[in-house]
Amino acid sequence: MNLSLNWLKDYVNIHKKTTAEEIGKMLSLRTVEVEKITNEGDKFNGVIVGKILEVAKHPNADRLQLAKVNIGDRVLDIVCGAPNIAPGQLVPVAMVGAILPNGMEIKEAEVRGVKSSGMLCAADEIGLGTDHSGIMILGKKAKVGKPFAEYLDLDDIVLEVDNKSLSNRPDLWGHYGMAREISAIFNLKLKPLNEMIVGKLEDIAKAERGPVWLDLKVKVENQELCPRYMAVAMTGVKIADSPEWMKKRLSAAGMRPINNIVDITNYIMLELGQPMHAFDASLVKNSKNEHRIIVRQAKKGEVMETLDKEKRNLDPEMLLIANEEKALAIAGVMGGANSEINPTTDTIIIESANFNPTSIRKTSGKLSLRTESSVRYEKSLDPNLCETALLRAVDLVKAICPGAKTASEYSDISNFVTKTGPLEIEAAWLAKKIGNKLPAREIVKILNNLGFATEHIGHKFIVNIPTWRATKDVSIAEDIVEEITRIYGYENLETTMPKVEMEEPEKNEERILERKIKDILTGTPALCEVYNYSFVGDDQLKKLNIDSAGYVRLVNPIASHQTMLRQSLVPNLLGNIRANQARYDSFGLFEIGSIFMSAPGDINKNSQKTELLPYQEKHLGIILAGNNDKEIFARAKGVVEHLFASLKLPAYFKEKDMKPVWSDGRMVAKIMSGATELGMVVKLDSQLAKRQGLKKEAVMAEIGLKNLLVLYKTARKESYEALEKYPSATRDLAFVVDAKILYNDIKDAIAGSNPSVKDIELFDVYEGDKLGSGKKSLAFHITYQADRTLTNEEVETFQKDLMKKLEEKFEAKLRDF
Amino acid sequence: MNEKLQKIKQEVIDNLNKIRDMNVLRDFETKIMGRKGELTEILRGISAMSDEDKKNIGRLANDVKMELSAKFEELKDVLGKTKSDAIIDVTLPGEKLPQGHLHPITIIQNDLEDFFTSLGFVIADGPELESDYYNFEALNIPPHHPARDMQDTFYIDSKNKEGEYDMVMRTHTSNVQVRAMQKFGAPLKCIMPGKCYRSEATDVRHEHTFYQIEGLMIGEDINMSHLKGVLEATAKHLYGPDTKVRLRPKFYPFVEPGVNGEVTCFLCKGAGCRLCKNTGWLEVFGAGMTHPNVLRAGGIDPEKYQGFAFGFGLNRLVMGSYGIEDIRLFNSGDLRFLTQF
Repeated sequence: MNLSLNWLKDYVNIHKKTTAEEIGKMLSLRTVEVEKITNEGDKFNGVIVGKILEVAKHPNADRLQLAKVNIGDRVLDIVCGAPNIAPGQLVPVAMVGAILPNGMEIKEAEVRGVKSSGMLCAADEIGLGTDHSGIMILGKKAKVGKPFAEYLDLDDIVLEVDNKSLSNRPDLWGHYGMAREISAIFNLKLKPLNEMIVGKLEDIAKAERGPVWLDLKVKVENQELCPRYMAVAMTGVKIADSPEWMKKRLSAAGMRPINNIVDITNYIMLELGQPMHAFDASLVKNSKNEHRIIVRQAKKGEVMETLDKEKRNLDPEMLLIANEEKALAIAGVMGGANSEINPTTDTIIIESANFNPTSIRKTSGKLSLRTESSVRYEKSLDPNLCETALLRAVDLVKAICPGAKTASEYSDISNFVTKTGPLEIEAAWLAKKIGNKLPAREIVKILNNLGFATEHIGHKFIVNIPTWRATKDVSIAEDIVEEITRIYGYENLETTMPKVEMEEPEKNEERILERKIKDILTGTPALCEVYNYSFVGDDQLKKLNIDSAGYVRLVNPIASHQTMLRQSLVPNLLGNIRANQARYDSFGLFEIGSIFMSAPGDINKNSQKTELLPYQEKHLGIILAGNNDKEIFARAKGVVEHLFASLKLPAYFKEKDMKPVWSDGRMVAKIMSGATELGMVVKLDSQLAKRQGLKKEAVMAEIGLKNLLVLYKTARKESYEALEKYPSATRDLAFVVDAKILYNDIKDAIAGSNPSVKDIELFDVYEGDKLGSGKKSLAFHITYQADRTLTNEEVETFQKDLMKKLEEKFEAKLRDF
Repeated sequence: MNEKLQKIKQEVIDNLNKIRDMNVLRDFETKIMGRKGELTEILRGISAMSDEDKKNIGRLANDVKMELSAKFEELKDVLGKTKSDAIIDVTLPGEKLPQGHLHPITIIQNDLEDFFTSLGFVIADGPELESDYYNFEALNIPPHHPARDMQDTFYIDSKNKEGEYDMVMRTHTSNVQVRAMQKFGAPLKCIMPGKCYRSEATDVRHEHTFYQIEGLMIGEDINMSHLKGVLEATAKHLYGPDTKVRLRPKFYPFVEPGVNGEVTCFLCKGAGCRLCKNTGWLEVFGAGMTHPNVLRAGGIDPEKYQGFAFGFGLNRLVMGSYGIEDIRLFNSGDLRFLTQF
């Protein structure tokens, strides 16, 4: 919202020495965020007053004219399309380099072969109305060569407030409310409303009646959606431009002047925060010549055209202003084109109403139509404001249209209560919340300045909530704490560290494990941690042959490749390969992140614990990219072994029966620890890799942290073994077996061959022509150790027995070379 | 045999005195001590001797061998030291060891976890796919509350019995507040780090997936001046001992009063620069005193307990500290970025 400083000064006597910057800073520290402060005149930088000396026809275009314009220090040649220019006129000239309020930048241009050094401006081009019929002709007080801003008397300063910081404050959507804040911040007197609004509601009917008298009747069908509806008719209005002072105010606040009646409704909205609407009474009239306003819900399939000439499809959740025959406006959102104020309007019906914030919010959301009116109604406006605003409207119409007179009784259909308290607040309670004891006088002053009638009685404060804060914003004592402390100034509160009792620390074991894993993987394996999106897309899964049927989907995804929640870290890790493959030969990455399943998990959805959220768990994903698939497969398994060894957990690999659809079918291993399966190591199928633009071989390992944590807590081996007292003996054994025989089985056989086998280390695997096809050679270091010194002969016997067993079990042949 | 040994010993010692070059020394050593060297040949002859001679001559031969070896080694040491022709470039880089890298957000999150743990805070977790209840309603944000505008929400395509979408991707880590209260009760000190989502288009300054840390402290007399104290301690931990914190009113439905915490701009030290848009302050925290409705939702009696909550975005924190200008780099998986941390 834009605040005009001059406008604010109507209500509060700001000290002359207080700069706009200071006001902006204090508003930011005490109330709302002021984002920008601009001098109104700056809008017209580069626009100056010029005098037309000559007008000639453009040689190459019938509709264009060439003007010679004196701008004081020189004469410019300007091409102009408007027909209304003549020598002697004073006009606004936008010079080369100027940026007009509508965003247009003026450049040196050639128009149909003639150079043009600037532009003569129409009123709409410089944000001074809608008139585009011709160049704006200035009055005699214009001085050639002087800034146009000076001619316009633009001495105002505009403070731009972040609307988001106003979302909880219905009272701050008008200048008067802001002025109240300034009065509290600077401890200044606020001009009371009754000094501005002289009339009372009863006076409306008593006032001199116009020549036209309407039998205006209002019916509110749903009072919950419309807590208050006030209306009155006025006649003898003459539609014209608003007076300059009003146009200036509206422009400063960022609103385009339209005509006197519409401007009055906007002016009151910007002044008091109450949206208003004016109908042309002759267009509200039904076929029986009656003026009936019905506030009702839209019918199914009902369509109406709004002021912006758009056809709107309505539904029964939307509230309308209508007569018996047609819809006239979408309540609180936008008026209808059929009852709009127009140049021939002479009798108007002024609406000052209050609507249900949720209903307005839903309607404007459904129609994608957020207006100055709807944003205010959404904030829960004070229904009492309707009355103030209606009186103000009658006053302003009479002031601006001198012949205007009341043309109906006023209507006021209302059904609302405002919870104004009072709240009783103990001084000790306040001090306990704030942590500081503020002077009682200061508290009373702050609250009274803000409109909270407050008394200090004994050890209590009795606080009355003003109606404009009572709709939602302020209802409990904690809300009063905020009012006091923010105006007192947060920087003026003491800063202390809490004193607390020590407690037994609650360990978050998953976080500890997660951090440990990250430290391990960025250590010796030298992997790089990545963060990926939790989303995947249909196309992405299809390229991996993954069926997306069971995936959790988003209602409102941001992009077609991010429509579902991932069930595995693999798809996005593959994307990481694509991002890096051009620059790195081989690399390894990992991620720890959540995966999501559609089946219910173990986290409750609400406090009653009646339902469960979809299953989600953190996974560890590791991906290695390189050129030799066997090498990186072995390396990936090495990384997994290193991880488990560092976590002091056992680990080994097993063949996996259920292979992922995207695997190459051969290099797929289960990661086992004891009897628990924790995850897998898988090579991506080379064809599928190509299909998604991978130029590398990729091997992934994925491990669920939930099972790993259970294991980490129960199976971690962190014990010490006494150093052996007797020497060990290490012997090598190399033999050839069928390639199908698995390492795990051979290892188990060796381990079981003799109680003295202490350690088994595979140091060479060979497959080649020398061995014949379908054969492999394995070479082990086998370490024997016992509770005595083993003799050479004993160890030789162990080896012979072992080899014999291997021959029997696996048809192994000793390799002699 | 004895003489032979003495003779060869003397010859060798004489020769050694003349040698000034390592290569000559090595050749000479091979000639005498090598496998087919003169001394070795003599020693080999011993095996053919009688047992008595073997014993006597053997000992002598061994002594000579030991003595000469020592002489050779001695001279090698001397020559080795004086040798000056092999230049060693000590400035050559060392052996290249592969290095791993933590994600920058992990680094800052770990740092903050350690900081708050040292203050006695617990680290609490909550789900990223969250119910509307914990993400909004329990935090005093009823359906159709304008505050929902502040956060564009990803909804999960699954409706409840009432035909409403009742699950979201959490829009903040505040979803863990009520869960933590229900789990741990009061008094409570905890932080809740994690991944958050908002449905907004990504560009240099905006990301739909980002990271936050939330803090919550509940006790019988935890007050606003304590909130200032903890925020200031955090700011000093992050930006150095001279950092100040400034609070401004800001509306969050789950706190009352609600504030925005700004810290002294670490770049210009408060003088005003491009980073802080010439204000001298950087917006870092959202905070406030926990709303009694939120305490109630968490099963904590607001008549007895009170406290504060605060939260801040980790992406912005990292961006500020390192001067990173494009927020999208965090989720890019680009090694050129990630290997810098």
